[in-house]
Amino acid sequence: MKEPMIEPDVMRISWGPQHPMSGQTRILLDVDGEKVHRIIADLGFTHRGIEKILENRSFFSGIIPVDRMAMVDTANMSIGYVTAIEKAADMEVPERAKWIRTLICEMSRINSHLYAFGLQAESTGYFPAVFLWTTVDREVLLDLFEELTGARWSFNHFFPGGVHHDFPDGFADKVLKGVKYLRDRFKDYWDAMVENPLFENRCDGVAILKPSDALRLGATGPTLRGSGIDIDMRRDEPYNVYDELEWQVITEDACDVMARTKVRFHEIGQALDIMEQVALKIPEGPVKGRVNAFMRVPEGECISRVEAGRGELGFHLFTDGTGNPYRVKINSPTLRNMYVFERLAELNEVYIADIPVIINSIDPWYLDSDR
Amino acid sequence: MSKISAADFVKAFQEAHPDAVKSMESTSPKRADLVVEYDDFIDAAESLRDDFGFTMPVSGGAVDYPDDDRIQMIYYLMHPEARFMLTYRVDLDRGDPRLPSLTQVWEAMSFHEREANEMFGIEFEGHPNMIPLLLPPDWKGGHPLLKDFKGEGQQ
Repeated sequence: MKEPMIEPDVMRISWGPQHPMSGQTRILLDVDGEKVHRIIADLGFTHRGIEKILENRSFFSGIIPVDRMAMVDTANMSIGYVTAIEKAADMEVPERAKWIRTLICEMSRINSHLYAFGLQAESTGYFPAVFLWTTVDREVLLDLFEELTGARWSFNHFFPGGVHHDFPDGFADKVLKGVKYLRDRFKDYWDAMVENPLFENRCDGVAILKPSDALRLGATGPTLRGSGIDIDMRRDEPYNVYDELEWQVITEDACDVMARTKVRFHEIGQALDIMEQVALKIPEGPVKGRVNAFMRVPEGECISRVEAGRGELGFHLFTDGTGNPYRVKINSPTLRNMYVFERLAELNEVYIADIPVIINSIDPWYLDSDR
Repeated sequence: MSKISAADFVKAFQEAHPDAVKSMESTSPKRADLVVEYDDFIDAAESLRDDFGFTMPVSGGAVDYPDDDRIQMIYYLMHPEARFMLTYRVDLDRGDPRLPSLTQVWEAMSFHEREANEMFGIEFEGHPNMIPLLLPPDWKGGHPLLKDFKGEGQQ
């Protein structure tokens, strides 16, 4: 990146991409003493050209790179692409497959939020133990993924027209057991982290994003809902079976880092409720219809919007009647939130020690912003 | 203009700006598509924000149509109360794609215009910080998302 000009009397610090807390990006900070005047995000370290790759792949094999846009949140990435293809090709999905998709998407969301949580705890500097807890508790979900799909990560379980495997024997009971275990554990997280005065000191009142600013800057996901605006694609544009289940959109009014952390926390609770409902109420039936791996999609375009762990993920699919997409535009949640992050230094008093806490509060995943 | 439906919005906008609209339709309750005339691009966008309540920018991108000799720039906007999405489109000349920057209306389009600049070669006039977003600074391979892109070193 060609760096923008530096103002006099300001020191520029380059943070990342090798810093353990920064992820695969570089953040330039213009600092005057402890105070941060300006934040510049230098993205693109993990750009793989997924939009171009998809143009040269069939609809089925395109799901594989899309899955790899966010490793902790694979299911919510591929569900967007798969629903876009289904809409464009006007395909029917069996009812049971939709329920299985809902279950996997919510497990994936918990997986993603747990990772965000661990990093949030780690970034405050006080709670390395919580990062280990979240990593160990994630194993419960990974074991369930492995049993259902055959892989612990990037399982490519969805395809246009259904899912690859039905529940193995006794799987619903294992889901219920996992839900019970995780519910108990979250009480520990709440006590150890959210209600801990040390954590409150680092997070309360830091990086306030007012609702009007959140809308104007295009924030999404927990960053937006932490500013009190209840936009959630699962409710506003229902996909899977979210409209048949009982759950709530979580918002917090404090608009600060703590509010975003609490939104994630409560969303995990909602996701556990959804998992439980799916395990108890899932209807019988087939999980896939007739599959054509070399499918062609009629000419046209369609947009799908889904709620991934980090916010709204959109796919704008253009088709021209062949076996490949003509163009796929991916609206990534992290790219939107990174712009909000850049502007936060102008909206607030931001200090250099708060930068890791703030950036983890928007929960960036650079593989999906860079695509 | 709070809880306007997508179909009502299409009607209201066409009445308010009959000359600016090239084509406009609402394909579903959650979607509206608007192709705007090039000359009215900024005025129509300001009206969308101020009069019709599209205060929330979502994203932006382009599509290349070499057969029609045009590039279509698409901005994705959301109505935060009525919860539907508008794709705000404008057709550009493929030989010399340029457009006034929409960052003067929605500041958050900055990243998306930077991406469209490097991927399609669209010049955004008046953009405050036009530097590559995703591609490396020493990239010399052209604009990857154009249909005639062959790969770095093959042009």
